[in-house]
Amino acid sequence: MKKKAKELISDLQDFYLLSYHGLMGVVRRPFYFKDLIEQMDYAGSGSFFIILLISLFIGMALSLQLSAELSRLGMKMYTGKIVGISIIREIGPVLTALVFAGRVGSGIASELGSMVLGHQVDTLRVFGVDPVKKLVTPRILSALIMLPVLTIIGDCVSLFGAYYIAVFVSHQSGTFFWSSIRDILIYENVLAGSIKPFIFGSLIACISCYMGLSTKGGAIGLRRTTTRAVVASFIAIIVADFILTRVLLYVLGFSV
Amino acid sequence: MIEFDRVSFSYGNRFVLNDLSFSVHEDERVAILGGSGDGKTTILKLIIGLLRPDSGKILIDGEDITEKTEDELRDIRIKFSMVFQDGALFDSLSVKENVAFPLREYTKMSEEEIDRKVRELLRRVGLEEAIGYMPEELSGGMHRRVAIMRSMAAFQPKMFLYDEATTGLDPVSADVICKLILDISEQGGGFIIVTHKVFDAFKLAERFMFLKSGTIIFDGDKKKMLHSTIPEIQIFLRELNWS
Repeated sequence: MKKKAKELISDLQDFYLLSYHGLMGVVRRPFYFKDLIEQMDYAGSGSFFIILLISLFIGMALSLQLSAELSRLGMKMYTGKIVGISIIREIGPVLTALVFAGRVGSGIASELGSMVLGHQVDTLRVFGVDPVKKLVTPRILSALIMLPVLTIIGDCVSLFGAYYIAVFVSHQSGTFFWSSIRDILIYENVLAGSIKPFIFGSLIACISCYMGLSTKGGAIGLRRTTTRAVVASFIAIIVADFILTRVLLYVLGFSV
Repeated sequence: MIEFDRVSFSYGNRFVLNDLSFSVHEDERVAILGGSGDGKTTILKLIIGLLRPDSGKILIDGEDITEKTEDELRDIRIKFSMVFQDGALFDSLSVKENVAFPLREYTKMSEEEIDRKVRELLRRVGLEEAIGYMPEELSGGMHRRVAIMRSMAAFQPKMFLYDEATTGLDPVSADVICKLILDISEQGGGFIIVTHKVFDAFKLAERFMFLKSGTIIFDGDKKKMLHSTIPEIQIFLRELNWS
């Protein structure tokens, strides 16, 4: 028990150190721009269509559920407002981050893990290249840039999906739906929805890089690494979402 | 000169090297033999500071490297050229990019100069036509040849470290690698090769160390090894009777 606690503390310490050095690499030379572009391409354009598809259907499903329930209460006209707040403040950032962790996070962990097992990371060190700057920093930076971009795209597509259901299935007024959306696009809601992707992105990249670089034990170790990276990222996203929501509601003056 | 002074190393609870002491001159051709998990690769990683010993000192040209930082170790590492098992080429880079990697990191060569240098190195090992290939398109022997050329692309190492350079290769490919290693060695610079293939070790080295459970149980030349009565060495020597 004591040994496990020691190992956990040591792992956490290593994780914080790697995250710190990885983030600090953004402002320290050398800069690996080519690696950053490659990572942004992998994280961004690779995830684009998945996010598009999932966001569209989530927006449509949410709109269907709310239209059905609100029409029973005679408040169908609030569909746009509730859907908008849910997507912009909560569902959009969390859903996009979960998809990003599943696709990009697992990819980072397995790629770095196989580089460790194939001695490629050791080779970098032999050549005097800092693996954190070369491998971790571009991945963190690409997650910090691409996750917010994907979240914005996902939010827009979700709202279009919700609009389609509200207007063509639930027979609501399209003009009223968009004016409801415009009404909720206030500073507080936009800020609450746009801070989260930065935090989620850095968490996913740091966790996945740490798991990848601490891979041991061949193919089974690689499988374990990938699974752990995805599971840990999912848990971190959900927990961070709750904490961020609580803090942001307080800071932005919402009463609960 | 490499000097190990009572070096011990363990991975967690598993002891790999136990109170190990030896020294190797930079112009020597040394083969470290032993079974899997006996600590052969660990020795190479300790020499270039990829691992730190639990206790003892490792001196490179009289300088203790055990307490050096990653930045300080850069100066030590450029004295060596390390070729890992299977070559450890970067999967995402082509053959050209792999060989050019240290040139881009360490030199200020123009793209034309890099291209010329890469072609020259690949020509030396008969792989100029494979310049645009990705590592997954190469055979095991080609992998090793590219890795050896990459390891000596940017600087002139004093000594080469080969980790299982011929393991897993067919006899023809293994022979090509052995000739390449000898060819490089004749142009200056000794080497340490870690292997469990006695046949290849005899082709390459002049001094042999045998490692068992983290301890050197034999250190001598070919003649002495052939007459050794140590049971483990005799088991290894049976390979010669088969070949």
